[in-house]
Amino acid sequence: MKSFFERKKSDIGKTENTYKTFAFGSLLILSVPLWARLIPGNVIHMDIVNVMVLSGIYSCAVIGLNMLIGYAGQISLGHAVFFGIGAYSVAILSTRYSWFPTWLGVIIGAIVSFAISWVVGRPVLKLKGHYLAMATLGLGEIGFIFFREATGITKGTVGITAIPSLSIFGIEFDSNFKLFYVVWPIALLLMLFSMNLIRSRFGRALRALHSSEIAAEVAGVNTSKYKTIVFVMSAVFTAIGGGLFAVFQRYVNPESFHFSVSILFLTMVVVGGLGNVWGAIIGSIIMTFLPSIISALPYWFPFMPKSLTNFGNYTLVLYGLLLIVFMIFMPKGIAYALEVGYSSALRGMKRIRDRISALKYEKRK
Amino acid sequence: MLSLEKGVRLPVRLSERRYALSIFGACAFLLIIITLAAKKSTGFQWILSGLTVGSIYALIAMGFSVIFSSTRVINFAQGEFSMLGGMLMYTFNNYAGIPAPYSFILSVLIVTIIGASFERLIIHPLKKPGVITVVLITIGLSIFFRAVAKWIWGTDTLAIRPFSGEKPFRIFGASLVPQSLWIFGFTLFAVILMFIFFNRSLVGKGMRAAAENPEAASLIGVSPSTTSLVAWTIAAALGASAGIIIAPIKFVSFDVGVMLGLKGFASAILGGLGYAPGAVLGGLSLGVVETIIAGVFPSGYKDAVAFLVLIVVLLLRPQGILGRQERLE
Amino acid sequence: MDAGENNVLLKVDHVSKLFGGLAAVNDVSFVVRSGEIKGLIGPNGAGKTTLFDVITGIQPPTAGRVFFKGKNVVGMRPDEITSLGMVRTFQTIKIFEGMSVIENVMVGRHSRTRSGFFSSGFLLPRFRKEEAETFEYSMGILEMFGLQTRAFDLGTSLPYGQQRLLELARALASEPEMLLLDEPAAGLNPYETHELTQLLEKIKDAGITLLVVEHNMGVVMNISDEVIVLDYGEIIAKGTPEEVQNDPRVIEAYLGSGIGNAQS
Repeated sequence: MKSFFERKKSDIGKTENTYKTFAFGSLLILSVPLWARLIPGNVIHMDIVNVMVLSGIYSCAVIGLNMLIGYAGQISLGHAVFFGIGAYSVAILSTRYSWFPTWLGVIIGAIVSFAISWVVGRPVLKLKGHYLAMATLGLGEIGFIFFREATGITKGTVGITAIPSLSIFGIEFDSNFKLFYVVWPIALLLMLFSMNLIRSRFGRALRALHSSEIAAEVAGVNTSKYKTIVFVMSAVFTAIGGGLFAVFQRYVNPESFHFSVSILFLTMVVVGGLGNVWGAIIGSIIMTFLPSIISALPYWFPFMPKSLTNFGNYTLVLYGLLLIVFMIFMPKGIAYALEVGYSSALRGMKRIRDRISALKYEKRK
Repeated sequence: MLSLEKGVRLPVRLSERRYALSIFGACAFLLIIITLAAKKSTGFQWILSGLTVGSIYALIAMGFSVIFSSTRVINFAQGEFSMLGGMLMYTFNNYAGIPAPYSFILSVLIVTIIGASFERLIIHPLKKPGVITVVLITIGLSIFFRAVAKWIWGTDTLAIRPFSGEKPFRIFGASLVPQSLWIFGFTLFAVILMFIFFNRSLVGKGMRAAAENPEAASLIGVSPSTTSLVAWTIAAALGASAGIIIAPIKFVSFDVGVMLGLKGFASAILGGLGYAPGAVLGGLSLGVVETIIAGVFPSGYKDAVAFLVLIVVLLLRPQGILGRQERLE
Repeated sequence: MDAGENNVLLKVDHVSKLFGGLAAVNDVSFVVRSGEIKGLIGPNGAGKTTLFDVITGIQPPTAGRVFFKGKNVVGMRPDEITSLGMVRTFQTIKIFEGMSVIENVMVGRHSRTRSGFFSSGFLLPRFRKEEAETFEYSMGILEMFGLQTRAFDLGTSLPYGQQRLLELARALASEPEMLLLDEPAAGLNPYETHELTQLLEKIKDAGITLLVVEHNMGVVMNISDEVIVLDYGEIIAKGTPEEVQNDPRVIEAYLGSGIGNAQS
């Protein structure tokens, strides 16, 4: 027992640090709408709160996907489907039945996603590597085609318009500012949950099977069960994000759940950092802001070509390049770089402090 | 690792393949019944159109197979080679007015150089990448190609002139455009070329050996580095020519690569990843099945059914219909 | 064939494993009684590892049955077999990457702990209590192996010999009744091998039955109560270390293998 507390690099100490960082990070994020209002929109040419809400929505999906890919090592190229299930559940239920509360739609989306991912996950996750990538890609494609073709339910490419805003027990979350304080607390809670999970018996089992499935099984881990659970979990997280997406956009059509959206999620995971809890949130914030920043560049700097304002059409170039560049040069993502930077800054500070105290000591002498 | 069995005679691997072939046969039989149940000419038409698309899938699938068998890498950008091929062909032939044969060679050459340089610049320096890394990088590449193509050529669907006329001729009540003959001919040519390469040339033989055992290949004097480069070169050339010869029938736009790539991959898996004859068989059967599905089901669901079939096959026979079961570690 | 079935812990009953037409294990039968150390030796490619794979559920046998504590374990998943009390180690070390030494051992506790998805995610008291217990138990095992000072370093950062020990520690964490060790001395220097031998004796004294595959004849002959010799997937001899060492078939297999199996 004594070694438990004596150790410098003790897990307990690390845990405290982790939660401190979490508290600090959440406060930072939750304060954004408060100070973002001070910056006039015609100066930065971007609605910060609006983009933040969207990145919070994506975060929900990416947190789950990061658990699946980064920790359990199982790839999915079809998560846009679960995003779509969440969004369409809200859209269909709330537009067909005017009495239907939108928040219940989000929950139902999560439940539907849970059921589908459970049924599909168990057999599909028996596949490994490229085969798994292909099968999930196929699932994503099937889902997309369903959203597009089942016009009786989803109204096809026309899409569903006039989705009511989110209302919870009479409170209407009709502005981005209000919605922000629904979306981000949810995203942060999901993150807290996965943070706890990673450090537990469950998380150890996931990381173990990532490293070697056979060794994990011999250590007593029922790998197919754990893979299924984490797949279902990521699908549910993504569906929650999808539900919020529907009440944010107030309009859904199949394009929002195309293969390229699965790739967007993937890019967010990679840019943020595979297997890093903060990576999911950092990745989605960066990737959501990037197109807006690039389109705003010509307003900030007169020498930038005006054509960049239409950059939205070409965001894909960026996703492609970022995927390649990050996988090659920064496979651990930005979150890891920040971590390293932070700890080396701490070390630097300590060195300076030591230096100063040493000087003081010498002076006294 | 293993020792020769003494005494007992046991079923050999061959029977497994025979079993797979019989499944194939049963499916083929079922298809024939379906086609016969439809009007005879319609059924024959389905098979002809199916084989046309199937040949394209086969070419792309061979590209997947070659890269996979020699490097254990799946190139998710394989379909983009076809897209680039078609686009370049359009530019040289229709736009710059260079005669078709020269345009063809030029386009294939350029795409091949792109493929080879991608291997040298990005895949090669990675040494021993994990599956997720490769999947993500090649997906990144495919997105990049697609976006660049959108930038250069826009979102329009472009039509390429058929190689020789457009007047279809009729066989047993079904019509066949001359371009289909070109496609059949070229696919056959490519298959023969591949066969000669892998069975006669030193590099080809080395690559086949490498697929079984990389060390053995090094002993013959074929390094993994050469193998990888040659594989990517072949795959790019196959992909580009597939994209060019199908363009007069299906047109070309910046996003055709996605579906071509997916179908090619699906064919490769159906036939057994890394087994080139399987890739051809997989491609042809996927083409025919898909065309029949499109004839029977509402056409919007065509691709969905194709993927459903693929997933079911994956789950039942993860090593593909003709593939060999890989041993544990 | 074997008298006194009452204290039999593991019974391998006419097990064969074929790959294609090749028999890696051919009609092998033997028993391991509780409390003994059994050695399993044989030249390279004799089918020792394949036999282990079959016993521990990693590969299904083509024919035959395996009984552990009187229960047929053929068809069970490896994790089920582990929770029954039979654990193995690997010839090629499989330390979990990206996890600390202590976490590696804690994974070994998996089958003896229960906290699930929600109790972990919401940090319920039940989970915290169990987590602390798991930690202490694992730390205790690390101390037994002299690895406690490295507990918070990455498992893969340990030197080779200690990685072998860590794997053994992970296996012991599941409180097994029987341990199957696949070449535990491979790659160890003489000093480490000597330490390992003592450790194995200690494990035996703790009442754990051992089945040890070893290429290193010295280790096996030292610790084993009985030795089984496998060649070309078949048992060619069994008996006490002395008996086996003098068996002409064994000598031939080992000498012959020097020439015949050089490429494997």
